Amino acid sequence: MMLARLFTYGLAVALSTLALTAHSASAQKRGGTLVMLVQPEPPTLASYISTSGPIGQVTTKVYEGLLEYDFNLKPIPGLAESWTVSPDGKTITFKLHKGVKFGDGKPFTSADVKFSVLEVLKKLHPRGAITFRDVVDIETPDEHTAVLKLSNPAPYLLMALSGYESPMLPKHLLEGSDIKTNKLANSPVGTGPYKFVEWQRGQFMRFDRNPDYWKKGRPYLDRIVARFVADSATRTAAIEKGEAHVGGFGAIPYSDVKALAKLPQIEATTRGYEMQSPIVQLDFNTKRPPFDSQKVRQAVSYAVNRKFVIENIWFGFGKPATGPISSNFAVAGLYTPEVKNYNVPNGVEVATKLLDEAGLKRGANGVRAEIVHDITPYGEEWQRYGEYVQQALADIGIKATLRHEDVPTWLRRVYTDYDFQLTNNWIQTLADPVIGVHRLYHTSSIRPGVVFVNGSRWSSPRTDQLMDMATVEANPAKRAALYKELQQLLVEAAPLVWVHELHFVTVHNKQFKDLIVSPLGLYTSFDRVYLDK
Amino acid sequence: MSFNTGRFGYVVRRLLQAVPVILAILALNFLLLHLAPGDAAQVLAGEAGSASPEYMAQLRGQFGLDKPVALRLLLYMKNMLALHLGFSFRHNMPVLDLILGRLGPTLLLMGSTLVLSVSTGVVLGVLAATRVGRWRDTLISILALLAYATPLFWIGLMLIVVFSIKLDWLPTSGMETVAAFHEGWARVTDIARHLVLPAMTLSLFYMALYARLMRAALLEQAGMDYVATARAKGLSERRITLTHVLRNAILPVVTMAGVQTGGLLGGSIVVETVFAWPGLGLLAYQSLFARDFNLLMGIFFLSACLVVLVNLLVDLLYTVLDPRLQAA
Repeated sequence: MMLARLFTYGLAVALSTLALTAHSASAQKRGGTLVMLVQPEPPTLASYISTSGPIGQVTTKVYEGLLEYDFNLKPIPGLAESWTVSPDGKTITFKLHKGVKFGDGKPFTSADVKFSVLEVLKKLHPRGAITFRDVVDIETPDEHTAVLKLSNPAPYLLMALSGYESPMLPKHLLEGSDIKTNKLANSPVGTGPYKFVEWQRGQFMRFDRNPDYWKKGRPYLDRIVARFVADSATRTAAIEKGEAHVGGFGAIPYSDVKALAKLPQIEATTRGYEMQSPIVQLDFNTKRPPFDSQKVRQAVSYAVNRKFVIENIWFGFGKPATGPISSNFAVAGLYTPEVKNYNVPNGVEVATKLLDEAGLKRGANGVRAEIVHDITPYGEEWQRYGEYVQQALADIGIKATLRHEDVPTWLRRVYTDYDFQLTNNWIQTLADPVIGVHRLYHTSSIRPGVVFVNGSRWSSPRTDQLMDMATVEANPAKRAALYKELQQLLVEAAPLVWVHELHFVTVHNKQFKDLIVSPLGLYTSFDRVYLDK
Repeated sequence: MSFNTGRFGYVVRRLLQAVPVILAILALNFLLLHLAPGDAAQVLAGEAGSASPEYMAQLRGQFGLDKPVALRLLLYMKNMLALHLGFSFRHNMPVLDLILGRLGPTLLLMGSTLVLSVSTGVVLGVLAATRVGRWRDTLISILALLAYATPLFWIGLMLIVVFSIKLDWLPTSGMETVAAFHEGWARVTDIARHLVLPAMTLSLFYMALYARLMRAALLEQAGMDYVATARAKGLSERRITLTHVLRNAILPVVTMAGVQTGGLLGGSIVVETVFAWPGLGLLAYQSLFARDFNLLMGIFFLSACLVVLVNLLVDLLYTVLDPRLQAA
């Protein structure tokens, strides 16, 4: 009996494996048009000058990077077929694929790598100055070898070479011109599986199959069209009707995702955002009362019911955050849950005690302090989240007034004038803590006028030191130890409340297969996507 | 014929008078916009999610944001006098190209809305006025009230739900089927199909307005002496209404249509948003939040010119409808 069951089970597994292999070996059909919903419409297509999300969603179909990544956050070959890092960590040698051409027929060589990194990304890319700060030179001994010479080991560098983060650009189209105003910004030419055809502003962008793509037989689709629909209800309707096939990064509001996912032709997934790792936060102004007191900050952190926020405001799409580094980094060994835990059932009780200790006594009307709580202007859920926080704070005796402003005004308030007390916010912690996390806590990131950096203005010599050491530490175990201490210190100091790890959702039509094949999700080239009616 | 007489002279004089008005509008727009906190560099950096100080300084230098406001205003007015609309740094494109790209769809939507709303509004008004107090009048009045009072976005979304999702007759949004890229007549039909829902939504409100205006004006005219005269001559009621009363009663509708045309350019933001119609209203709205002032001021300039032109046209139309009025 037992044996028979085992046998049946084994047979089923064998059969399904067989079916799976057969499926992936022969099912890719040629042809079809994929319509993506991209929201909002990108201002330009210069992904080498702006890392704005919508830009990346379309340019990654045209520009590729030296590397791609698997779900273990390990680099795999991209335009570079192999790479070696010297024992001292200061030399990285990339062997480039042969026979790769740009859309205009010119070959892609090591000279393009050198130009892209040194002349464009390091100088003009918003994060390039950090990513490539230790790259002093790139040697090009031959057309297919690029050797990065570094002044320090840079373990994070290999995590930042995707087509989204560090696109490889055509030197021959950019050299000798003003790169910032070069027309490549609106008509990209790359090595990718699709060629840019046209951009009808306010409507769509069209990308057609690149017949000379270097990966033989790919891509499978004939065309990708990115559509811009400003209204979220209309976007949902377009997906439901099959006029559009995929939308992610909040293009489909959380409130509509569950209803859409019930339709037989639609699938919703939270995979493909592992290299974005957004964290929903509350940012304190640590230089202003009452949040200059660590105890008051901790009290707020205790008062926030993370589960309630996830379930009721983000429709269940999230996971309680424990600290500044997302649990997505667990596979890379950089995350630790062993930190002070604010997510406790008796949070209000602990918070009340902390506030008493901090000397914030309840006044005659039961109020300990009055504050203004700013709302980040990126959508409705932030408003509801603000309203929740207002109530949670009221429970511990802090009376909060909500303030709503538009994007430029809010950015200026939080990152230039520091004229706030508490604001809700969210930050993508990206591919490596050096790129995505340090900017929020390092003293050198307290820079008026620069957005999404250390607006809380909290800093300490020890945490600065830990981040500096982790930046150049090539040994993974030692690096992990540095980040463990950093997480423990930061969580104790609570310059922010880390509420939850936000899960974006990609909603797509099931006719299209192999859409999400990497932790970069929609930021990949779609060379493997195929239509199976 | 001297320059100052006749219809031609009138038009030239009106156009010349418009120049200082438009210049004043431009200067006012410029100053008002610069009262808004935050700038384009901050927005771009905000969208990027991260930026170094060098990057921000570089953007500001490139956009000319490092110069004082007074100097920028002077430069701007100088450019505008040469009809040079400037460059949108956000889009990395000349403002004129951006606006021209949106002008076609905007005029298409505006034109069809105008025709649809004026014609159905007038017809409904006549139908109601000729049966005052009867069920036809009551029905039309109730419908007009509903159309007038219902929010546009809601009407738009309901039309999508009914006509495109439930009945599957029309597309939800956009201006053409992007997966197909039709050419020739197939493309014309395709665009026409996409135009139906947005034009209907936008027309409903104005249609209601015209129907009510038309009804009131017709009832007012019906008591006039010339109607009694016509009736005494033995003309049929139908002929009295269509050739005598209608011509007099339509003047307020023409006035309103003139106002509507000015408002349509920017006032269709809601419909453009709901139906993803690539019009100027949405572009203006987005450039405001992006602090893309060159582009925004370009659109304002175009709107100002359009309003001036339409007002002129309406005045000329008056003289055609009512020869007692003189263009002078």
